[in-house]
Amino acid sequence: MNYTFTLRTVFPYLGGLVPAAELTLTISVLAILISMVIGAVVAVMRRSRLRAVRFVGAAYVEVMRNTPLLVTLYIVYFASPAIGIRLSSFTAALLGISLNAAGYMAEIIRAGLIAVPRGQFEAATAQGMSVWQMFRHIIFPQVFRTIYAPLGNQFIAVILASSLASAVAVEEVTSWMETVGANSFRFFETFVVAAIVYVVLCQTINLARLQIGRMLFRQPDARR
Amino acid sequence: MSGSLVFLPLFLKATGTTIWLSWLALLIGAVGGTLIALLRTSRLWPLRVIALLYTEAFRSVPILIVLFFAYFGAPVMLGFDVSPFVAATFALALHASANMSEVVRAGIESVGAGQWEAALASGMRMREVMRHIVAPQALRVILPPSVGVYITVLKESSLASIIGYFELTRTGLLVRETQGGGFGPLLALAAIYFILSYGISLCGAALERHYAVGGATSTDAVVGGMA
Repeated sequence: MNYTFTLRTVFPYLGGLVPAAELTLTISVLAILISMVIGAVVAVMRRSRLRAVRFVGAAYVEVMRNTPLLVTLYIVYFASPAIGIRLSSFTAALLGISLNAAGYMAEIIRAGLIAVPRGQFEAATAQGMSVWQMFRHIIFPQVFRTIYAPLGNQFIAVILASSLASAVAVEEVTSWMETVGANSFRFFETFVVAAIVYVVLCQTINLARLQIGRMLFRQPDARR
Repeated sequence: MSGSLVFLPLFLKATGTTIWLSWLALLIGAVGGTLIALLRTSRLWPLRVIALLYTEAFRSVPILIVLFFAYFGAPVMLGFDVSPFVAATFALALHASANMSEVVRAGIESVGAGQWEAALASGMRMREVMRHIVAPQALRVILPPSVGVYITVLKESSLASIIGYFELTRTGLLVRETQGGGFGPLLALAAIYFILSYGISLCGAALERHYAVGGATSTDAVVGGMA
């Protein structure tokens, strides 16, 4: 084994890492936001009084959670031209990751809603609160407390999942690693650099979550 | 759709490959994860730190870059070729071991301190306490979420297609190409994964009801993550 680890060899390629990392971050942030919106809608659907609506919500969650993200991505990427829409790699990746993440997000939000006792809804209504006031002042703070920790995990999961965007030709960090590795044959170094980017992104969220959790909730039960 | 029935044996064979790959990775991951969990609950703090770093590192690095590293990096660094199968098993197992270690740790910690004290007080050695007192109780807590870990591995095994291993996803893509595009084969892929994964998660739910333990569920995002 005469391979020497020399980080210097990847220095010339670091210029390309910045836009790649930005792309990873952009996809992750947008996917988190979109999946939260879809997830909230699906979570509310699952609590509907209509059976059909509940079924659609449940089916969405189960399908997304039981199929690989890669397959979802390929379907979005290859199927969109078939129905006449031409999506760029970026849009297809973002859409695929968001749709998939929404399945997980819906379950997290649903668990938060379930944790709020019925009496809270009834009491708020009896107080003469409007639906908005009820959600804003009574329901949301309690839901937030329950979903806080799993939400952080989900954010990290989305960042890691964004690596699959490289499979549909989005030039983010994983793609950078593959390309630079293939060009320079310095796979170990490129791996270490890419890994550092992901670890920094994920652990920033992880540590911020712990810190903010400690500030928001007296009891530091925010961990896991 | 009538012509695509020709590909059924191919899909079935590929399904077998996917199950074999993910199952092997889970087994290796379970052994590795148990070792890490034992380190994690050790009385020596350096061991605990090593285990913590291992778990946190593998849970904050995407499996895809580990896969690329194992497949493309090993020939350059070690001087011998690694087959896509070995690279995929290795990467999946590493990731599974990090997830399993959290599950096993939760299991070990679910056994109350009183059990340890009582067993030690009755003259058992550490090893005996683990084997006869803690393990049987921990197993009840460990089994249901392990099903969740397996489902994650099963879905992650689709990534092996990217380095050219002919499992289910790769086969689906190939069938798609021979048919000249379209997304019928991709929907078939999704359906097969769904049947496998959903079926297993139903078994997991049954297992959970059988043992009737609260806390983490088999489909908990904590031990799985998206894949």
